[in-house]
Amino acid sequence: MAETYVKEVETKSYTKEVLVDFYKTMAKIRKFDENLIKLMAEGKVSGFYHSGIGSEGLSAGSIRQNLRDEDYIYYNHRGCNQKIAKGVPLSKIYGDFLGTIEGTTRGLGAGIVHSADPSRGVLGQAGTIGSQLGLSVGTAYTSKLTGSDQVTVVYFGDGAASREMLHGSLNWAGLYKLPIIYICENNEYAISCHVSETHSVKENIADWADGYGIPNCVVDGNDVLLMHEVVKEAVERAKRGEGPTFIEAQTFRHRGHFEGDPYDYVDVEILQNWKDTKDPITNFAAKLMLDKVVTEEDLEKINKEIDVEIAEAIQKAEAAPLPNPERIYEGLFA
Amino acid sequence: MRKITMRAALLEALNEEMERDETTVLFGEDVGKFGGINAVTKGLYEKFGSTRVFDTPIAEPTIVAAAVGMAITGNARPIPELQFGDFVGIAFDEVFNKMGKWRFMHGGQMEMPVTLRLPIGIAGGAGPEHSQSPQALFMHGPGLQIVIPSTPYDAKGLLKTAIRDNNAVLFFEHKVLYDMKGEVPEEEYLIPFGKADIKRSGTDVTIIATALQVHTALAAADELAVQGVEVEVIDPRTLAPLDMETILESVRKTGRALIVHEEPKTGGSGAEIAAQIQEGALFDLSAPIRRIGSPDVPIAQSIYLEQFYTPSKDQITKAVNELMEY
Ligand SMILES: Cc1ncc(C[n+]2csc(CCOP(=O)(O)OP(=O)(O)O)c2C)c(N)n1
Repeated sequence: MAETYVKEVETKSYTKEVLVDFYKTMAKIRKFDENLIKLMAEGKVSGFYHSGIGSEGLSAGSIRQNLRDEDYIYYNHRGCNQKIAKGVPLSKIYGDFLGTIEGTTRGLGAGIVHSADPSRGVLGQAGTIGSQLGLSVGTAYTSKLTGSDQVTVVYFGDGAASREMLHGSLNWAGLYKLPIIYICENNEYAISCHVSETHSVKENIADWADGYGIPNCVVDGNDVLLMHEVVKEAVERAKRGEGPTFIEAQTFRHRGHFEGDPYDYVDVEILQNWKDTKDPITNFAAKLMLDKVVTEEDLEKINKEIDVEIAEAIQKAEAAPLPNPERIYEGLFA
Repeated sequence: MRKITMRAALLEALNEEMERDETTVLFGEDVGKFGGINAVTKGLYEKFGSTRVFDTPIAEPTIVAAAVGMAITGNARPIPELQFGDFVGIAFDEVFNKMGKWRFMHGGQMEMPVTLRLPIGIAGGAGPEHSQSPQALFMHGPGLQIVIPSTPYDAKGLLKTAIRDNNAVLFFEHKVLYDMKGEVPEEEYLIPFGKADIKRSGTDVTIIATALQVHTALAAADELAVQGVEVEVIDPRTLAPLDMETILESVRKTGRALIVHEEPKTGGSGAEIAAQIQEGALFDLSAPIRRIGSPDVPIAQSIYLEQFYTPSKDQITKAVNELMEY
């Protein structure tokens, strides 16, 4: 059965620069999200948006300082958390929502799931959640083929984990010892269904990996440092040729499944408790101040800088033109 | 007569048929307590209980395969839902080869009373994998009946027929139509498969349209009538079986045919309909058969670009005027 990953992680084992980077990344993800919701309210962005607020620590901790540009990720459909952590420029992500040619898709629009930035190892995502579980084995196999030490990190929700594809993917990854890190962002709900209503497990989703002989664990996904450590070990194992790791990271979404979801299927007290006591950003900020890594003023300054960066990104994305209608006839074939 | 939305009409059909036949079982993602992401199944869980109405894991192949496995026992009448019709791609083998062929492959010894509900269509920035109209793929699949209603009245009558039918039905619901209101009588009625409906009579041009495009065609017909061109609008309502008799009769009268659908033009249902029109009425035609579909490229996520995919009233009036030049 999956063990819970525990480790005494102290801020003093990190440089201030790294710690601030974790904080900045999380704060940037959240502000990006809040501002996107604002753009939706202003009627500038339409379609579906699944806010990623509440689980920033999971993405920041797993990606920052662990992955290089040449390492691959398949992000999930919740917020833009992983793309931002991987360094995709904010103006490009906003452009993909606004449908301007600033977007990574040069005006096709991408919503959450079709932004791509191959120069940073971001190979896109599917509208059919969980499809990335299949693609990731091919991407990871290619590292074997070319003899490179590139790793592939694949993110997916607890709901997506119930797709049949997960089992095919785990079988391949275990069989060919592929350099994959599976990160299941378990926020307990898939739209309206609690994980206990839709998954047959011993205790945790990560237990499934056991059957394929894949090392696995459960971790507090809202602890950015713990996330960093557990993924670091998995990346090292993958680079040593020891194959895949399955990490189930526990978190919760602060908002409904999509903007406009009444979110009435979740106990209000449980939700409030996650917001009040397990917010990854608030908790990390408190830790940094307690350990005297930064002061409140430092954080304020960082937040102001991020506000400016976001405002500039939105401005750039909005200022770019919409494509001309012929855009839809471009790019189907090489 | 009272007017209700297509969503309400579908829900009435589900309610009535589930009351009528206790072997019916309804399942899919979020269809239970949540009532479905399109709110079509609201209240069914509370009314029929958690064995007959249940939420499934996100596992489309298993949803369809389970429905097939239930149906062939002869003891259950499953009504599964895929959250988006596009996801039929994930369950393609289960639909195309299992649902469609199981009975035949095994010598006709079992029945396949499955009604698979599939919401389709471009509906506001949902992107390339949540906006498609994949129905034509299944015209190429023997053993599958294809239903595609355009009004609340048709939706209710056809869904009731689908549920009672002992053969597989793919029931396509255009998402934009869910909120559209139309007359639906209080009394019970059924609509047979393979019976097209003439939504407007006319003498000059026959338009064959499905789902949302029936309404676009009717709007174009109103405009054309002002110019003195009388358009006949035919809604096949089921693509399999396809009521070619009604279509051919109309085309023989008008001598001109235009087929309009939101599916991509190439290989869309219009291709088959056009082929059958020329097989049955070539020498009655005074103009080439025309087709309007969406462009043969994936649907862009951008809501701005999306408008260039949905066939428009102007495209239809232009095509009709061109046909009238012959
Ligand atoms: C294959 C597939 N089935 C269903 C959907 C519709 N859908 C989108 S997100 C979602 C729930 C996903 O839940 P989870 O994976 O737990 O991620 P979360 O949204 O909770 O972050 C569903 C059912 C989809 N996009 N793709």
